[in-house]
Formats: sequence, C-alpha cells, structure tokens
Amino acid sequence: MNDIRRLLEKQTLWQKSRKALTWPEKIRMAERVRESILQLRAGSPRDHGPIPRGPQR
Amino acid sequence: MKELAQLLNEMRTAGVIRDYALFGAAAQMRYTEPVATLDADVLVAVSPTEGLDVLRGIYEFCSAKGYPPEGEAIRVGAWPTQFVPAFSPLTHEAMEQAESADFEGVPFRVVGADYLAVIALSVGRAKDFARILGLLESGAVSREKIGSLATRHGLSEEWRRFEGRFLNE
Repeated sequence: MNDIRRLLEKQTLWQKSRKALTWPEKIRMAERVRESILQLRAGSPRDHGPIPRGPQR
Repeated sequence: MKELAQLLNEMRTAGVIRDYALFGAAAQMRYTEPVATLDADVLVAVSPTEGLDVLRGIYEFCSAKGYPPEGEAIRVGAWPTQFVPAFSPLTHEAMEQAESADFEGVPFRVVGADYLAVIALSVGRAKDFARILGLLESGAVSREKIGSLATRHGLSEEWRRFEGRFLNE
C-alpha cells in the first residue's frame, strides 16, 4: 500500500512539474502527443479513412 | 505554433483580418498542464463581406503563403488551424480583451483564462467541462469571476448547473 501511495505521490509531482513548464514547452509536448495520437489512429483497425477534423476548441 | 503566431500577425498587418485571438486547448495550456489536442483554434474578426464566405480572404492569403487547406482547417506548420469568426458578443469580447502573450519572441494574442472558461461553458461538451475544471485548479481564474462573466452573457443557468454537478458537493 505504501508503494502505491509513493507511486501516486511521484505521479502527482511529475504532473505538477509539467504545469510549471513554459507555454512553448507545453505546446511542443502537445505536438508530440498529437503525433502519437495520429500514429495510433492510423494503425487502428477501426480506422477506415481520414481522421475527422471536428472542432477541437 | 510560432509560425502560426507570425502568420496571424502578418494577416492582421495586411488587413486580411481586423483582429484575432487563439483559444481552445492550445490557449488553455498557458495555464494548465499540457493537454491532447489535434487542432489550433483561432477566433478572427473579418471585415463585413457581401458573400457568405467570410473566411475566403483568409484562405486566399494562406494559400498564397504556401499554407494549404486541410479539411475544415488550414495547416500551419504542425498545426491544422481552424479559423472561427467571432460569432457572439461573448466571443467578440473575448477577442477584444485577449492578452498579448509572447511565443518564443513573437507576440501572440490569446484569449484569457476567464473567457476561455466561459466559452467552454457555452459549448458544454465533456472536454469543455474538463477545461473549466483545469483552469479553476490552476488558479488562473476564480469561480466568482466565471460566475460574473457567465451571468453577463446569459449563461447563469449553465454555470449554476456546472457548479451543482462538479463543484458543490
């Protein structure tokens, strides 16, 4: 149980440290996440065509 | 994103748009931790046109600069960018009150946290609610400020429901 608690505490610290990044650094991180999402979707058996570009706002 | 900031500033200088402000997830990340998003969203004010295609000038300008349309968006560097004409008093005000941020040395107009939250409230999808909670948690905006802005824009009932569902336990 203590191990899980320590793990969660470490995760929280890591998440908080991401919030402290500069805006351009966060945007670059989001760009990498975006590339990964697109690659995952491209490889998905459910993918039958281009990715729909609905509003993301 | 820097490329987008440069393009938008050029567009404004050239008179293609009167004003602009980044909003949505990319704007939210100024305040919160990074979030997954596929597009960049930009509010724009364009001069009144006779035709229905209010975004034509933007598409023509981008095309001339080598930025091709991609579905509903225009790809600018890594980002498919959706240009959304300011469509309501709330979005007009959000654009007018936008903050001038700095993106790697380039000025970039970005919708402030309070307006981001109330625009999200007006849209009302699950991810919009998550955006409001993220902005509140970051301390970038207070419940009072969102409540006051929401009331001013006729969204007091939506805000009351949001508070009941997510904040008042």
